[in-house]
Parts: sequence; C-alpha cells; structure tokens
Amino acid sequence: MKRGVPLALAAAAYVAVAWVVQPGFFDGIAPPAPYRWVSPPPQFQSSNQPPLPGHGTLKVASNGVVDPGTIFTGDGQASISFVPGSFEAPPDRSPISVEIRPTANFPQPSGITLVTNVYCFTASAPLSSGKQALITLRLSDQMPTPSTVYGYRDQGPWEDVGSTGSAAAFSISTRTSWLGCFAAGYPSNVRQTAQGARLGGGQALPIVVAGAIVVVILAGLPLALLRRRGSPAGPPPPGKRRSRR
Amino acid sequence: MEASARATLRALMLAGAALGLEYLRVLALRLPGLEAPALLVGGASLCLLAWGRRPAELGLGLDRLGGRLLGGLALGAVLLLPAAMRGGGAPALGPGLAAAAVVVSVGEELAFRGALQAALEEVGGPLLAVGGGALAWTLAHLLSHPPASLPAVAAAGLLLGTWRWACRDLLAPVLGHLLADLAL
Repeated sequence: MKRGVPLALAAAAYVAVAWVVQPGFFDGIAPPAPYRWVSPPPQFQSSNQPPLPGHGTLKVASNGVVDPGTIFTGDGQASISFVPGSFEAPPDRSPISVEIRPTANFPQPSGITLVTNVYCFTASAPLSSGKQALITLRLSDQMPTPSTVYGYRDQGPWEDVGSTGSAAAFSISTRTSWLGCFAAGYPSNVRQTAQGARLGGGQALPIVVAGAIVVVILAGLPLALLRRRGSPAGPPPPGKRRSRR
Repeated sequence: MEASARATLRALMLAGAALGLEYLRVLALRLPGLEAPALLVGGASLCLLAWGRRPAELGLGLDRLGGRLLGGLALGAVLLLPAAMRGGGAPALGPGLAAAAVVVSVGEELAFRGALQAALEEVGGPLLAVGGGALAWTLAHLLSHPPASLPAVAAAGLLLGTWRWACRDLLAPVLGHLLADLAL
C-alpha cells in the first residue's frame, strides 16, 4: 500500500497538469510551429508571420522522361511531389519550373469552411495524361481538423478533390491530375472537433482525477503485491542498491 | 575508481547520451520528408542505451504478465484521459509514422525508465531514480515541445517512473506510452 500512494499521486498530478495542455505532446509529434496565415484569424493576428512561397525545377532525364521530385514552400506548409514522367517533357528538354504560391485572392467557397491558406500550384508544362501529383498541406494545430482537400482551376468553382490521409502529423494530402489552387477544409454544415479548444476544469476535472487514481491503483496494487511476495525472475527488493553484472 | 563514482559517472553518461540522441532526432525531424526515418533511427538508438543490462534490471520479464499488460492498459488510459475527456485529438498518424512512434515509445522507455532509472537508483535510491529520470525525460523534450507542454511531459515521466519503481515493471510503461503516442 505504501507504494500505491505515490502512484496515485503521480496519476492525479498527471491528469491535472495534462488537462490544461492540448493533446499531441509526445515524442516529437508535438504541436508544430505556429501556422503562417495569409489572412490570419483574429486570435493569431498579433503574432502572425506571412507564409512563404516555394519554387523548384525538375530536370528532363537523358531518356526524355521528367525526373521525379518534391517542391516545398519555404516554411514547409505546402508541398507537391511528382513521380517520374509526371510532366510532358518540353521539346527543348528544358527543366520544368514549378511554383507554389499562397494567395489571398480566390473565389469565395460556398458551403465550405477552409482551415488552411489557399495555395496555388503552377508549372511551366502540363501534367502528363494519367499522371497524378501528390499535394500535402500542413495544418494549424489551433484549427478544426479538415475532412478533405478542396481545389479549383482557373476561376473556380471549388471542388472536393478528396484526401489520401496524412503522411505526417498535422498534415493532409491529396492526389490530383490537374494543377490549380488547393486548401484543406470541411463542409460548413458538419461540426468539426476543434483541436485547439480548451476546456476549463469545472466539475469534470475532480471526477477524472479520481477516476485516474482508481484505475492506476486497481492495476498497480495487485502487481506490487505479487512483486512483494517474490517472483523468481524479479529483481531484489526496492531500496537496496543493486549492482550490475 | 570507487564503485559509487563509477555508478554516478555511468548515470551521467547515460543521461547525456539519451538527451543527445533525443535532440539529434528532433533536429532531423525538421528536415522535410524525414519524419519517419528520424523517429525510427532515434528510437532504435535509444534502445541501445539499455545494452548490457539484464532484463530484470530493466523491469522486463514475462512473470506477472497479465498484471503487466493490465497495468499498461491502465497507464495508457490515464495518459489519454485528459485528451479523451476534452474531446480533442490530433490527426491520425499515417502507417509509417505510427510504426516509427512505436519504436520511439519502446526506445524512450528502455532508455529513460529502464537503463537511466536503474543507473540512478544505484547512485541515490528510488527518489533520485524517479525524479532524475523524469527530469532527464523532460529536458529531452525541450526542443520538440512548446514550453506549455513541458509540465505535462514531466508529469507523464513522473507517472511512468513511479510505476516502474512501485511495480518493478517496465512493460506497462512501454505499453502505456505506446498507446498514448499512437493516439496523441
């Protein structure tokens, strides 16, 4: 029982402390750096940094096939990846130039809530027929989780281009057979969970802390008792210095 | 060299190596496209810090297996409790990142709650073992986590370390940590 008390205290302390922190704080899968907004929501206006564009080139290999590659924006918030031969090679075999540009000027989406910047992807050559590019958009940890990626060509309208899930934490990806402007979002009539929402302690915190104590004690005490009774493979009793082999 | 001085030196070296590996992993994570490889290599490197320790010294073993597994589920439940009650959550990890997170969970538990905690207990008993292990674990997350998250990281380290000391078991912290990493 002597060891159950610190165990219970540790469980209670953890729940109380973790209650006020947003989820996702383990092992490098931590909340990412603050999202850079083109048009920041009011709560981020004071600390917002402008998003950065991206540029890259893809060479044409000696066999006439355009090399694969990935182009990132300078802040890593958007990227586009190509497999070999994604582009039709220019007759002069000059490299394909790819641009990623965050934009504030886009057709207003109807029935859609966007939770990222709108990024426009352009290239100096058209995508080959039947080839797709992989677009990845980083997400803000302070906004609701998007359900899909939306995009538009020329002047619109917006269309749902789907999502292939996330290859990394706080990101969403999609495959597209055309280049245009893209953003992550969700249908406005669907209630999304706000990742950054913070709840106060209120009535729930004591109950949750008590629950945590009970769970840890219930699971830990039998193990501690079994250990005390002695186990052939178990180490010597605690408190004694143990020496290495 | 005296045995106690050797034990202290060993604990310090272990702590330094664990911190160094964690910082290297975080720096590698910042390179685009290297998330999963950085986590995999970083986690596997941490596992090596337990090299040379007997399983029993690390708190590993197949005895009391049911209790250990139950304990792991309980620790995982407690670690996830605040996030679950608040209804929030991070986006689901992709398969590559999830596999890497498993390796990191195992590596961190072997290094911090396993090897380092055992080394610190040899130096100064259980208080130093649990407290020192949690402190080193928190320091290891300085680069990867915003300051606001560090108290929760420290509290998680204390909880897992206390379990390791109270039950002489590392399997439950590994399982609990793994569940939390996959869900958070």
